[in-house]
Amino acid sequence: MTAIGHTGIEPGRLPARRRWATRLEPYLYAAPAVILIATIMLVPLVIGISYAFRDIRLLNPFSGGFVGLDQFVKLASDDDFRLALGNTVFWTGTSVILQFTFGLILALLLNRPFAGRGIAQALVFLPWAVPSFLSGLDWAWLFNPVVGPIPHWLTGLGLMEEPFNILADPDLAMWGPIVANVWWGIPFFAITLLAALQSIPRDIYEAASIDGAGALERFRSITLPFLAPTIAITILLRTVWIANFADLIVVMTNGGPADRTQIVASYIFTTAFRRLDFGYASAIAMVLLALLMIYSLLLVALRQTLLNRS
Amino acid sequence: MATIDLEAVAKSFGPVHVLEPVDLQIRSGEFVVLVGPSGCGKSTLLRMIAGLEEASSGDIRIAGERVNEVPPKDRNIAMVFQSYALYPHMTVAQNMSYSLKLRKTAKERIAEAVKGAAETLGLSKLTERRPRALSGGQRQRVAMGRAIVRRPQAFLFDEPLSNLDARLREQMRAEIKKLHARLGATSIYVTHDQIEAMTLADRIVALDAGKIQQIGTPLDLYQRPANRFVAGFIGSPAMNFVSGTYRAAAAGRPVHLQADHAALPVPDLDRPDGHAVTVGIRPEHVLVEPGDAPGTIGCGVELVEPTGMGTIVHLRLGDVALKAYRPGYTEWTAGQRVHVRLPREHMHIFDEASGARIEPAGSGRSPGLSEWPAATKLD
Repeated sequence: MTAIGHTGIEPGRLPARRRWATRLEPYLYAAPAVILIATIMLVPLVIGISYAFRDIRLLNPFSGGFVGLDQFVKLASDDDFRLALGNTVFWTGTSVILQFTFGLILALLLNRPFAGRGIAQALVFLPWAVPSFLSGLDWAWLFNPVVGPIPHWLTGLGLMEEPFNILADPDLAMWGPIVANVWWGIPFFAITLLAALQSIPRDIYEAASIDGAGALERFRSITLPFLAPTIAITILLRTVWIANFADLIVVMTNGGPADRTQIVASYIFTTAFRRLDFGYASAIAMVLLALLMIYSLLLVALRQTLLNRS
Repeated sequence: MATIDLEAVAKSFGPVHVLEPVDLQIRSGEFVVLVGPSGCGKSTLLRMIAGLEEASSGDIRIAGERVNEVPPKDRNIAMVFQSYALYPHMTVAQNMSYSLKLRKTAKERIAEAVKGAAETLGLSKLTERRPRALSGGQRQRVAMGRAIVRRPQAFLFDEPLSNLDARLREQMRAEIKKLHARLGATSIYVTHDQIEAMTLADRIVALDAGKIQQIGTPLDLYQRPANRFVAGFIGSPAMNFVSGTYRAAAAGRPVHLQADHAALPVPDLDRPDGHAVTVGIRPEHVLVEPGDAPGTIGCGVELVEPTGMGTIVHLRLGDVALKAYRPGYTEWTAGQRVHVRLPREHMHIFDEASGARIEPAGSGRSPGLSEWPAATKLD
């Protein structure tokens, strides 16, 4: 309620200044948030995007000029970029699918009561708390036959002829960061899916079991439909996240060997902070942004149809 | 349709006994109501019959076959839940046909069964809706429909009407009764509402604190409650209780009321002088008289509640509250002094210590079925 209620004066008869104040009021309330978002998100974004159209190389004092779409043209025929794009799809897809699968299994296990469930839950969520840099380093060591046990175990199991570092094998190197990423990201799916599982009313399961549904059928016809909206949103979030997530790769393989683990995000990182070519890095980042936005819109639309259906 | 037999079925969680051993034989086609206050174990008993809860001991037999280890999906029983437990992502028709589909029933047969059930329950126009778009009463009907399409061995109802408003509850109660008359299905119905128990049941099983208190027809429980709990639980407004001491030695062998030491004429009891008893009498049997006739007790009128169909008069006798119910309207008003007569033929005497019913000496029965309508001769 504004002054109208107090004075009883008709809105049309209010003095002009008063009328302006009334009209501005909601914008003033929203202003702090809008200003904050603009300064810390929009301004850097716009500046970053502007770099994509300029030639900005830190080591070249004469750079900085406007180059139009030149960098995008160059990008279109950049084989490294194309390789990184393919690697990104493999890295993101494999990581998300494995994280989701193990996260779901873990959530289902944690959803049933057993002795020591509280402790188990706490332990399961632990990897999430480990800094990504640290877990990358740990896993790199675990894969290293000099200090780590994994190659020796694999040899013992007969999966490897002799202990070697898979991070150095061009055909297998990507699996190193993927394993680390899966280990690190399972808790995210486990937490969110467990929360969704716990919101499913128990008597619906009971009704289904009385209706004649076995455990598998109950999972298919009750658990999955109930989880579907959560699954859609978590997979969306994780995909965007992982596609942008270069920490583990930079720490474990630095994109190598022979760029076989270079993903777009780590390529941007390398271009910007190793080659110091900020302009080109921005152009790559814009393409990645566009691709991820298209993907997100598709998934949001999918989720909406799922929600409308139920 | 099938018989359901419970033999010493008990449930305990560790050292806590939620249900003492229960023996109960349910005939094929019978409608049995388990009634009792919340926490009495009635839902636990139902859930054990459904297979949702494991019996700690004892045998559960459906159609003569022991089912203790049979999972719910193979017991061929249907259950209506208090929350309805409809599948929110399925339409009404899908909700009702789910069980048939799992049983690989032919499509035509499913469509026919769903159509039939929807017609019976007045849901024909709603079959393509989702539960979200239905009212409480409609959801309740869908839950019933889901049960009847299956033609199960038995129906289990877990407080199916308690989420409905009073008017709808009354209506659904009647519909359940008609449905049962038509299908003749063995039914077990759990409720805490004694009216539902009285109106629906062929037999009532009254439970309290994990123990069966009485099993019998509704009128059995109403007219010859086995103990104070059943007497107080069945009937609304509830039975009046006054404590007193049986004076076998005194003239007329009355009960001296603790409230004001008035001597209350009671039926002869097979108990020694000085035995502590509780006298129970239903409000409709309490006679309120203006004059101080012999055998009456003086009371104050505390409150008068007209219900339209009748009037509940709240009386106070010392520190004991008494209720009298009479059909129609009464001239009594709050604050008035009146005299009440408690006719001895309508009294229920209970042992003060154990709460068990004490039968009048010499007779096997106290007020029987034939005497019951006499309750109406109040004015």
